[in-house]
Amino acid sequence: MISSESHGAWSGSTKPAWLRVPPAAISFAILLGAWEFAVRAGWISDFLFPPPSSLVAAITELGTRGFPDGISLWRHVSVTLARIGAGFSIACATAIPLGIVFGMSPILDRLTHPVITFGRSLAAISVLPLFIAWFGIGELSKIMLLALAAFWVLVTYTIAGVKFVDPVLIRAARSMDATDRTVLLRVVLPAALPRIFTGLKVALAVCFMVIVAAEMIATVEGLGALIKEARNAFRTDITIVGMLVIGALGGATSLMLDALERRLLPWQRASGESS
Amino acid sequence: MEALKPAAVAAFEAGAMQGVASVASGAAAAISIQRVAKTYRAADGREIAALSPIDLEIAPGEFVCLLGRSGCGKTTLLNMIAGFVVPTEGAISVGGERVTGPGRGKGVVFQQFGLFPWLTARRNIEFACRQRGLSKSEAREAAADAMTLVKLKGFEDKYPYELSGGMQQRVAIARTLVLDPHILLMDEPFGALDEFTRADMQRELLRIWAARRKTVVFVTHSVAEAVALADRVVVLSPNPGRFKSEYRIESDRPRDRLDPRHIRLEEEIQRDLQ
Repeated sequence: MISSESHGAWSGSTKPAWLRVPPAAISFAILLGAWEFAVRAGWISDFLFPPPSSLVAAITELGTRGFPDGISLWRHVSVTLARIGAGFSIACATAIPLGIVFGMSPILDRLTHPVITFGRSLAAISVLPLFIAWFGIGELSKIMLLALAAFWVLVTYTIAGVKFVDPVLIRAARSMDATDRTVLLRVVLPAALPRIFTGLKVALAVCFMVIVAAEMIATVEGLGALIKEARNAFRTDITIVGMLVIGALGGATSLMLDALERRLLPWQRASGESS
Repeated sequence: MEALKPAAVAAFEAGAMQGVASVASGAAAAISIQRVAKTYRAADGREIAALSPIDLEIAPGEFVCLLGRSGCGKTTLLNMIAGFVVPTEGAISVGGERVTGPGRGKGVVFQQFGLFPWLTARRNIEFACRQRGLSKSEAREAAADAMTLVKLKGFEDKYPYELSGGMQQRVAIARTLVLDPHILLMDEPFGALDEFTRADMQRELLRIWAARRKTVVFVTHSVAEAVALADRVVVLSPNPGRFKSEYRIESDRPRDRLDPRHIRLEEEIQRDLQ
């Protein structure tokens, strides 16, 4: 069990509330302050290192006039999220069922293992020219690229989750006369869920990396396109805003998945190590 | 040598050494093990004898401990009775029915508990009830009774990780008991528990056993545990695993560990294990 005295001197729980500022906030504040100061003092170029004040101005511009003209930040964000949502969903719908099947069958596992290892090592973006030929230059090729990149990750984690179910749990169920169906649905699947969830988080992070590259081709909408257009217009401030927004979105969706995991798998907290 | 043996110990062992033959003649054994052996094939193709042919008849309601050091095949034998492992030779029947796989009245309690970590204590037990075909409300009732039997009232809605090892094993025992198995197979069930919890659990098990009178096969490597619990202790020796000796213990339970008869018996078994 978790002992309450294990925290001790380092927890800082005796400090007043106003002193308990998250360390991340302090380090970011110092970094941004120094940056702003260095630009104003003329030590570094405001073109190469646009300071926080010009980033704020860029965000305002993106929110009102849009960049390129007429395409607001909100539009870029929603287009990017829609593409990730579609690609990620396709990956979930294919990788999880296939991963379960491959993980359950030692023969299929051995047959598919080399292919999956190869696919996972392949940089997704290198497939884009081929995908454009197959699926056209529009939305579909981008969505399929995300789906492909997420697929390899998710299928790997799902197979591992199914394969490494504690054999005692399966024996316990068998000794209770559980049917194959019950063993699969009520034992193997729940036991594999923590690993599948980890796979979801990693796959989502991969989507956020791949989307930027995918959106640099044949579109003016989406955060990747925003970054590319900003580069073409020599707007480093907007490039950085695009970069920050994509990072923040990736972080926020990952936190949402964490929260969902805690809700759906409340038993996960301590059992990872103990059993 | 027989003459040197104290009378008390000799009385203990009445019918012990010829035990196999005497019980075999009994009408309906709960578990019948005939010339059962297990050989594994190692990765390099060599055959490794986990258990040399063994005969064992276990009477209904009997509490048998399989005792031995690691590598003596005691867990292999238990797994073959449970139907998890197929014998290389021989046949096992439980309640007159040939063992071909797990389940069918063979309840198992594991050293690592084997509780489903995603289910609360109550749901773990209800899971077992549902496999027996009980309705939801019947399962709920049976689970509540079982929780009372193992003295875990009030912990129904805890997840396994929130319970101590001893409590988890009580849930696992309750989960096995609701199946109303013909026989109870226990694989070092208290091996993962500390000494004090272990003694408590032995007492609890004897209380439950007295109430339900199941046939029990209990694997252990603790001589004291075997002497505290069993009607009959079957000693196995390792490399390859094989039958060594057996002892019948007729004194009442719970047993006093410091009773000279028990101490002497422990010493004797200890010698067999050397």
